[in-house]
Amino acid sequence: MTADTLDPLIHVPARLQIMATLAALPDGDALSFTRLQEMIGLTPGNLITHLRKLEEAGYLTSEKTGSGPASRTSVALTHRGRAALDAYTETLRGLLNGL
Amino acid sequence: MNGTSDMGRAEMYEDDGGLDPRGAVSLLERTQRQAQRGLDFRSPWLSLIAAGVVLVGFGAVWLSVRGQHPYKGPTAASLVVLYALVLIRIGTVLYAHRRASAGVTGRSVRLRRAEGAAVAVTLVAVYVLMAALAHDGAGHAVFYWVYGVTATLIVLAAFWAARSAVREDWPQLCLSIAIMLVAAGSALAGPRGMWLSDGVGLCVVLLGVTATQARLLQAPRSDT
Repeated sequence: MTADTLDPLIHVPARLQIMATLAALPDGDALSFTRLQEMIGLTPGNLITHLRKLEEAGYLTSEKTGSGPASRTSVALTHRGRAALDAYTETLRGLLNGL
Repeated sequence: MNGTSDMGRAEMYEDDGGLDPRGAVSLLERTQRQAQRGLDFRSPWLSLIAAGVVLVGFGAVWLSVRGQHPYKGPTAASLVVLYALVLIRIGTVLYAHRRASAGVTGRSVRLRRAEGAAVAVTLVAVYVLMAALAHDGAGHAVFYWVYGVTATLIVLAAFWAARSAVREDWPQLCLSIAIMLVAAGSALAGPRGMWLSDGVGLCVVLLGVTATQARLLQAPRSDT
């Protein structure tokens, strides 16, 4: 087993942090963009780029409520995203055991 | 900043290729720990404050009743100390909870609101019962001893135990059961000794919680 077997969408520092942070929420909960940014420490543009890639893969969903300055975007891990993170963790464990 | 756009930084981040399996595990564990700490309002400090509140609050009441013959009940001054400390405890919990749940929406938030409402109704019901007993002429010993503390502690702990069992939150279930045991056992110590027994017993339980929480915060996760 090599590092190539790791999900390339998750195996990027920023996206791994996003997935691990959202996975800490109970199933069915979402986190605001601002709080996620504060917890991970990425710039808004950087975070948006990575969130978009994860959303395109179906790993997370985003929802925008309100409009104008009061608008708020929340993101949540999907079941598919949670399963992908579990599989990634499992592969990582296998890799480390093989080292 | 330095002519580098956010998009550019994102690509640099992605293309650096510096994430080996060990580095990934380290980053994953660190992020999980930070996320859990950030999203959970419970902390060793809060438990330590609670331990101090029960020891000093109940201790103050015990000092005011220990020499009473016949038993008249806690003095107004000792009750002011107790309730002031309880208010401080409630304030710190609300502050920590608000910070931890900032930006979080969804099912667990709705559940917590429902639980909060149920706890508030439970407390009001217990105090209405106390007021009814006082109105009907219940003596101080019964009023402050059986209902004033013991019933409140048992009812709230029973509620929390049921909630913890449903969520399979075993540490909180153990804590709730320990509180019920301390409250029930302290009732056997009489109207004076009960305050000391409750104060010391609950303080010991909460110090145990503090130590467990502190140990868990330092322990590495075992699922990766």
